[in-house]
Amino acid sequence: MIKPRIAIFDFACCEGCQLQIVNMEEELLSLLEHVQPVEWREAMSDQSDDYDIAIVEGSITREEDANRLREIRKRAKTLIALGACATLGGVNKLKNLFDLEEVKTAVYAESASLPILETATVQALHEVVDVDYRIEGCPIDAAELTYVIKCLLIGRAPAPPNYPVCVECKLAENVCRYDYDEICLGPITRAGCRARCPSNAFWCFGCRGPVDDPNVHAATQVMEQYGKTVEDLKVKLTLFGTQ
Amino acid sequence: MGIKLVARARLDAWVDSLVQQQTVYGAQAKGDRFAFDRLERASALRLDYDVTILPPKKYFQPQREVIMRFNRKTVEFESVIDEEPFVLFGVHPYDMVAISQMDKVFTMNQFDKHYMARRANATIVVSSVETASSSVFAACMNNATMRGKSGHDVLITKLPSGHYVVDPRTEKGDNLCEGLAEAPEANAEALDAREKVLNQNEKSLRKYELRVLPEDLPALLDRSRSHPVWQEKAELCYSCGSCNFVCPTCYCFDVEDEMGWDMETGHRVRKWDGCMLVDFAAVAGGHNFRSKRSARYSHRYYRKGKYSWDTYGEISCVGCGRCITACTANIANPVEIFNTLAEAPQ
Repeated sequence: MIKPRIAIFDFACCEGCQLQIVNMEEELLSLLEHVQPVEWREAMSDQSDDYDIAIVEGSITREEDANRLREIRKRAKTLIALGACATLGGVNKLKNLFDLEEVKTAVYAESASLPILETATVQALHEVVDVDYRIEGCPIDAAELTYVIKCLLIGRAPAPPNYPVCVECKLAENVCRYDYDEICLGPITRAGCRARCPSNAFWCFGCRGPVDDPNVHAATQVMEQYGKTVEDLKVKLTLFGTQ
Repeated sequence: MGIKLVARARLDAWVDSLVQQQTVYGAQAKGDRFAFDRLERASALRLDYDVTILPPKKYFQPQREVIMRFNRKTVEFESVIDEEPFVLFGVHPYDMVAISQMDKVFTMNQFDKHYMARRANATIVVSSVETASSSVFAACMNNATMRGKSGHDVLITKLPSGHYVVDPRTEKGDNLCEGLAEAPEANAEALDAREKVLNQNEKSLRKYELRVLPEDLPALLDRSRSHPVWQEKAELCYSCGSCNFVCPTCYCFDVEDEMGWDMETGHRVRKWDGCMLVDFAAVAGGHNFRSKRSARYSHRYYRKGKYSWDTYGEISCVGCGRCITACTANIANPVEIFNTLAEAPQ
């Protein structure tokens, strides 16, 4: 069997999701028996324009990035968005809440006007090109990446969970964060993280984005029951650009 | 062996010796709440727990279990059966009732050898409830005590004096209680005190008052298909399945094959599923038999109060109240729903 050629690209992000792939360590060797990496800046020096599967991390913040992503889309048979920045826009999307010039000045001070720092509103990959599969999370869970790649190798459509984090929280027998008077985004956030945050005594930050049909009406109504406001909920939703 | 009257120190010594000899799962503190977990020492056992977050069903039908290993190249496969004996210590009567119902479910059409192997290897110690949880209504469902019920191997009941009446009910129970041979037999006074505790539980384990008899629920549900409460409550339903997963009589599962990196060998996994989840009733071709929240929401009540009755003659809500507590939106109280239906003109 000819190994599918895989290229991994990054845009605006911390590259932490790629790092999760590097962190697969021994399992990475098993993965490499089935796929041929041809470009992966974080782990190798080779570059190539000839690939079957593109795994793309990060959000799109400049026109030149959007053009580069369009090129990647043209070349790849399959495009996988990797991590919250790619799937949602992620933390980067906070920028969109402010005036662009103000943001630039706050970050780059007197250098803000340099042409190299030209920047636009933040977009998730699917807002620019068609995305075939999404691997959610900040950072991703490498087990989900291997699941998706195994599905592709075997010719099966990957089916990411379409139920909220509450499911995995219950399976882990966690005490509900609402019992601790916290606003947890678990009831509307897509599972697949094995309820990592609530299992470690944090509320769900919503890094995996909403389920397909989140009950926003319930989410707002419930705030009142817990003595919170819709505004409190919105603040939480803003972090990963899911508002 | 007869019924024993056991002081706390002796009970602890007995439990400490049990955990040395075999796998014991017991109710223990978890954060501000309780959960069954592997018991390491008697001092961690909390027989005064009100309710555990998950019911003990997880020891018979784990959240995720490998049921088969296969090789898709050679088309060979073998079932995986878990046959380690274990003791489940401190199960409340309503949960024991649920386990007995699940025994029916997992044997009545297909004999489920994965479930039944674990069940056959379990020794169950039921503990009469010492602390009522904030949402328990087991008494309304006639499940406050083990009176007239079976399935358990030992029944222990704490008396107001602080002593425990330890009552082995089966041969397995007798064997488990061997370490208490030296303890005195429970006298008439102790047995009388136990009856009073059970009487009290039948009064107190009803934090909500069900205004219909459990056996009238099937007919009530049958005439309530178009009641507005389904739509009303479903508007606040997250479809998160919390009410399913914490329910001791929810047993639905999904089955999935996981491949190894050799792409030839793999294993078949069975994991909990829930009828509140949007994709639960989705089938090949994209159709979903219960795509509406209200259809899913009402299904749970019909399943608990009518379908199980129609299928195996029991109401499958045992009154543990876990769904009431687990529902973030506070819409999962079966007593509230059944009472609302009962108020509607016939």
